[in-house]
Amino acid sequence: MENAIGIPKKRRLGGEATLAYALLAPAVLLMLLFMAYPIIYVFVVSLFKTNKLARIQEFDGFRIYGKLLADKENWKVIGRSLLWVITGVTTKTLFGIIIAVVLNTKYRGQKIARLLFVIPWASSIPISVMLWRWVYHTEFGLLNHTLKSLGISANPPVWLGQPISAFLSCMWVDIWIGIPFMALVFLAAMQSVPRTLYEAADIDGATRSQKFRYVTLPGITAILLIATLLSSLWTFNDFNTVYILTKGGPAGTTNILITYVYQNSFEWLKWQKASALSMFTFVILSIVSFLYSRVYFKREAM
Amino acid sequence: MKKVVLIVALIALMSVSTVSLFANGGKDTGDAKSTVTFWLADYEGIDHDFVGEIAAAFEAKYPEYEMDLVIVDWNALHDKLTTALASGTPPDASVIGTRWLLELMDLDAVVAPGDYVSQSTFDNIAPGAMEAKIDGTLMGIPFAAGSRFMAMNKSLASEAPATMEELRELAIEASKGGDYGLIMPGAKHSELSDFVYYFYAAGGEFFDANGKCIVNSPEGVKALEFMLQLALEDKVVQDGFMAQDRKESHPIFMGGKAAYVMIGAWADTEYGKMNADWDIEYMQIPPFAGNDPAPLIVTDSIALYSDGDNLEGIGKFIDFMYQDEWKAPLDKGMGFPPVTISAAKRPEFQTPMYAAMAEANLNAKGWPLVTGWVESASIIIDANQKALLGQMSAKEALDWAAAEVDKVRAE
Repeated sequence: MENAIGIPKKRRLGGEATLAYALLAPAVLLMLLFMAYPIIYVFVVSLFKTNKLARIQEFDGFRIYGKLLADKENWKVIGRSLLWVITGVTTKTLFGIIIAVVLNTKYRGQKIARLLFVIPWASSIPISVMLWRWVYHTEFGLLNHTLKSLGISANPPVWLGQPISAFLSCMWVDIWIGIPFMALVFLAAMQSVPRTLYEAADIDGATRSQKFRYVTLPGITAILLIATLLSSLWTFNDFNTVYILTKGGPAGTTNILITYVYQNSFEWLKWQKASALSMFTFVILSIVSFLYSRVYFKREAM
Repeated sequence: MKKVVLIVALIALMSVSTVSLFANGGKDTGDAKSTVTFWLADYEGIDHDFVGEIAAAFEAKYPEYEMDLVIVDWNALHDKLTTALASGTPPDASVIGTRWLLELMDLDAVVAPGDYVSQSTFDNIAPGAMEAKIDGTLMGIPFAAGSRFMAMNKSLASEAPATMEELRELAIEASKGGDYGLIMPGAKHSELSDFVYYFYAAGGEFFDANGKCIVNSPEGVKALEFMLQLALEDKVVQDGFMAQDRKESHPIFMGGKAAYVMIGAWADTEYGKMNADWDIEYMQIPPFAGNDPAPLIVTDSIALYSDGDNLEGIGKFIDFMYQDEWKAPLDKGMGFPPVTISAAKRPEFQTPMYAAMAEANLNAKGWPLVTGWVESASIIIDANQKALLGQMSAKEALDWAAAEVDKVRAE
């Protein structure tokens, strides 16, 4: 068997390749142990009735999947999760790019500005979310106090008490926590774009927006893809924000898949249903990752 | 050949380090002490430093034990316990809501404490507190028992209402000055308050004799409609009540901004912390006109776990903790009247709040002791919220809740 340039392929692995596989083997084994095994086990649990300690009892087939597909509440939660991710990631990406552009410009106090932007990302997420819970508090919260003091609203919304405002409030906190990461990644990507390209653009008489559109943006696209993929996965699995702020309430209207899984498993001990919901999560995130990697590797091959 | 030797050596090194990591479990194995693990619920008013002192004093008396005393938020306790039980690593014992006991027994997760805790400790516990006696065997050691009652801010109101209808009028009157008439937590807490106060006051029962959920009975609908009236029509409850659970809404009363609150044993401690410039008065939660008073009584117990590593040690710790020297100040901090006979006689428990609780105990009604209660309660809270958000009428919401609860319990 020959390849395109006529050099015969070796059928047997060379010494270097064997060494590489051997060095990779422990990592692969650990991955299988800690990632593949739990995924398979969760799938198996979803096919069995369990007791309240998640011990498998009797085979139930795919009945729970049929039940979930017919359950309106389940679809509402999935729809809300997708809305949560799409809106969250889009906003974080847009703000991330804008902030990165600002931080990439030279001005006095640039270093301090960069440091300040990192704080939400560097802080413990649960503590940040608890802080926001108090900010939103109707009686003692900073937000309503400010709105009242400035005369903007005499009756500010009950941020976490109404379905739409509670969902938007949760989303804002997730965005607030996620923006610094996006901004820093984009900033690093922007700094790796060769200066010569900007100089060439200057000679060609390109405006600032043209330089951004034709130099910066193409230069950071690969990083942008990776960052938005990571952000999508993290946002989808952002348990802390929703659980600490609203516990999925009021009346389940802020539940996303990850909090719904938690509620079914650890609160109500419905392990079979929780496992099936986890498989839904796994399938959705796998599809997202697959689509992203296709686009990413296609670009790399070009 | 050299490469093969290198590969084998690398794999062997990695395997050995991985195996030794798992074998040690990350713990120092050179310690001869055995660890006793106890999870204490984080009651409002509990003094964390004092809890640390109990653990230190126990270790000083029994140097063979190391005490791992963990304070767990009430809202997280059930979930944390479930996770620990599912993974086979529960504590040796923990505080539980007595209403969880049937579920734990169903899982064979608990053992009768009689084999580990001394008889003298049991002899000092008031017989009336032994709610966790199942089929003649005590499965949970009474830890706290207290009825709920009402507190009034005397600078905003002056009358103790005899009925719920009177409470409504008094709350409307009190709110005319710009303060709140009544506190009503609307967000999910670890228990079903405050609906249950109105529900029991209307004579409601959660289940009939056959175990069917009857929360949608006329009494249930009356209770929820009354809450809707107070919150949405009369607007006498605090702003943003739907976003506040008990821990967030009670400080509004303690801050002197509301006339009445239905509260529990932690009232005195919380009031004391505020250095308030107004006086507080305790009274009974009134029934609806024509009904008998029926306040909620909440009992908490200590459960010992069959998968616990040190049941002998935890038995000794419970004996130690139940001495007046430790249990009485702990009760005082939590605000609960003591379950131990000797501590109940101490002067610090002869105050107006304890008198109000003692009176409430006479008519008090507990949570239903049924399996699936945690999810059932969550469904009923959701039903309350759906009605308060205007998504359903009180009747529709409770009909939905009753059907869902029956479905859950049938599973």
